Amino acid sequence: MIELSNVVKEYTVIKKKSGLSGSIKSLFKPEKTIVRGVDGISFRIEKGEMVGYLGPNGAGKSTTIKMLTGILHPTSGTVRIGGISPQENRKSVVKQLGVVFGQRTQLYWDLRLGESFELLKRIYRIDEETYQSNLEMMYEVLGIDQLINTPVRQLSLGQRMKGDLAAAMLHSPSILFLDEPTIGLDVEAKQNIRSFIREMNAKRGTTIILTTHDLDDVEQLCKRLIVINHGKVVEDGPLSELILRMAPYRLLVLDLSEMPDPQTLHHHGAELIKQEGLKLTYRFHKSDISASELISGLSAKLSVVDLGVKEPDIEDMIREMYRSSSTA
Amino acid sequence: MSAYYYFFKMRILTTLAYRFEVFTAVASNAVMLLATVFLWKAAYRGIGSVQEVSQHQMIVYAILSVVMGAVLSVNVQDDMYYRVREGHIATDFIKPVQLLGMFLAEDLGTTVSALVNRAVPLILLASILFTPPLPVSLTAFLLFVPSLMLSFLLLWLMGAIVGMISFWVLELGNLGIVKDAIVRILSGSLIPIWFFPDWMGTVSAYLPFQYMYQTPLSIYIGKITHSQAGTALAIQAAWIAVLAFIAYAVWQRAKRVTLIQGG
Ligand SMILES: Nc1ncnc2c1ncn2[C@@H]1O[C@H](COP(=O)(O)OP(=O)(O)OP(=O)(O)O)[C@@H](O)[C@H]1O
Ligand SMILES: [Mg+2]
Repeated sequence: MIELSNVVKEYTVIKKKSGLSGSIKSLFKPEKTIVRGVDGISFRIEKGEMVGYLGPNGAGKSTTIKMLTGILHPTSGTVRIGGISPQENRKSVVKQLGVVFGQRTQLYWDLRLGESFELLKRIYRIDEETYQSNLEMMYEVLGIDQLINTPVRQLSLGQRMKGDLAAAMLHSPSILFLDEPTIGLDVEAKQNIRSFIREMNAKRGTTIILTTHDLDDVEQLCKRLIVINHGKVVEDGPLSELILRMAPYRLLVLDLSEMPDPQTLHHHGAELIKQEGLKLTYRFHKSDISASELISGLSAKLSVVDLGVKEPDIEDMIREMYRSSSTA
Repeated sequence: MSAYYYFFKMRILTTLAYRFEVFTAVASNAVMLLATVFLWKAAYRGIGSVQEVSQHQMIVYAILSVVMGAVLSVNVQDDMYYRVREGHIATDFIKPVQLLGMFLAEDLGTTVSALVNRAVPLILLASILFTPPLPVSLTAFLLFVPSLMLSFLLLWLMGAIVGMISFWVLELGNLGIVKDAIVRILSGSLIPIWFFPDWMGTVSAYLPFQYMYQTPLSIYIGKITHSQAGTALAIQAAWIAVLAFIAYAVWQRAKRVTLIQGG
């Protein structure tokens, strides 16, 4: 469905020197440096998948999306969507794509939201029936029927984002690219947008590729993750598997009633990673020992008054992935 | 109804809605109108005609030149520059439309609404203050209309070509100003080329600029005969073909080098 192989994108950046003589110099002899935004990326995404495309700032996520949508031409390598190159056949490929760039709108600033939709209806040649039923669905899922007569420039960020999502889905695309669709939104709006995304994927089988820095997005939406750093893929696999591999441990936090004897603190199945007065934190692997086994083992030796188990955290996992790929 | 027609229609509606903008634009054009007409009056003092053009003809020329400048709206150059610079071009490229067609539809929309909200007040003002800018004959007027349309296309293609350069250089600002200045001088919009030295007239005949303003205006005031007008229209059309070809070639390249600013 979506296929990238060995895709490289280089940006030529012209260095501006400071000062008057510097700017005159760079006018005649510009100093060019080459930045690799994407450095040899390959992956495949099948129809109906919901994939999180993650990576730290500047990793190359947006650059990849721009190549997948035909906006940018790769320096080398091939991009295929349904077997067709979005660069060579831009118009026919983009018809089946929906794209939302969280940072900018594709709605028309001078028009009302409804007029923007009308325009898109003509751009994508959506027939009246499909248009009406899609619009109805957007009203229902996103609750934007109140906003239809508001000029786009008067919409709040969250309202605009909903408008953008609706605009991206009006022509029933088979693939939806979302580049940070929840950026800057409140909790409620984020939830709305997430359920919208889930619904599109479940009901319509829309393939969804999502970039985000919001870990709740990842946890609630993505079954598969592709993680990139410095323009290279560093991880690619099902979310659950990645968590197990990258952050397989759980934490056990104990509150004690009296200072423990240091000798009794040890347990063969877990590692004591923190001790602050009467508060102990153990780290243990799911596969080594169960929580109840560890708790009963420790409470036999220690005077435990309270305890809590912390599940492997997606945040820890992501941090670990970014960290290990940066030092590599 | 196609997307381009919708762009065209919505542009007319939105420009008609911005009343204040219209007011300021008409006001600044009115100043221009007064200045050029008074200048020509002063220049013609004591002279019957220059190159067979009378003072009255010249004043009609000047009035109509200001009106043309106010009506023929070519925003493609600035729009393209702005959209590339701000990275909005990304959202244009994800839609299955021809970007240039979209810009053309919008400029046509602005131009059509300017016929109503700019041309009419300016012509009224000129008629009250000076003289009604009437064409020399009905035939002249009928030849003027197609020539004016071709002028619009010439101006538009020129703007589009310069605008596309922003795909390569983002510091377009000055280039646009230089182009606008060249068009202003060499198109005869301020001073007809026949006032310049002969060699400039010769050079100018081989450049596209004078066909942007001087040609339709000369037809309108009867500076050139009907048969000369036929030739002039053909030359305009030929320049349109040349510029359209250049625009197409540049555009094909521009798309490949697109740089999108911002995440
Ligand atoms: N127009 C451009 N000109 C030059 N360099 C660019 C341009 N766009 C992106 N880059 C560089 O390419 C790299 C990847 O950028 P990209 O926008 O793809 O990152 P990202 O993963 O989307 O980051 P973020 O999470 O911050 O949005 C960065 O190092 C960036 O500086
Ligand atoms: Mg980005």
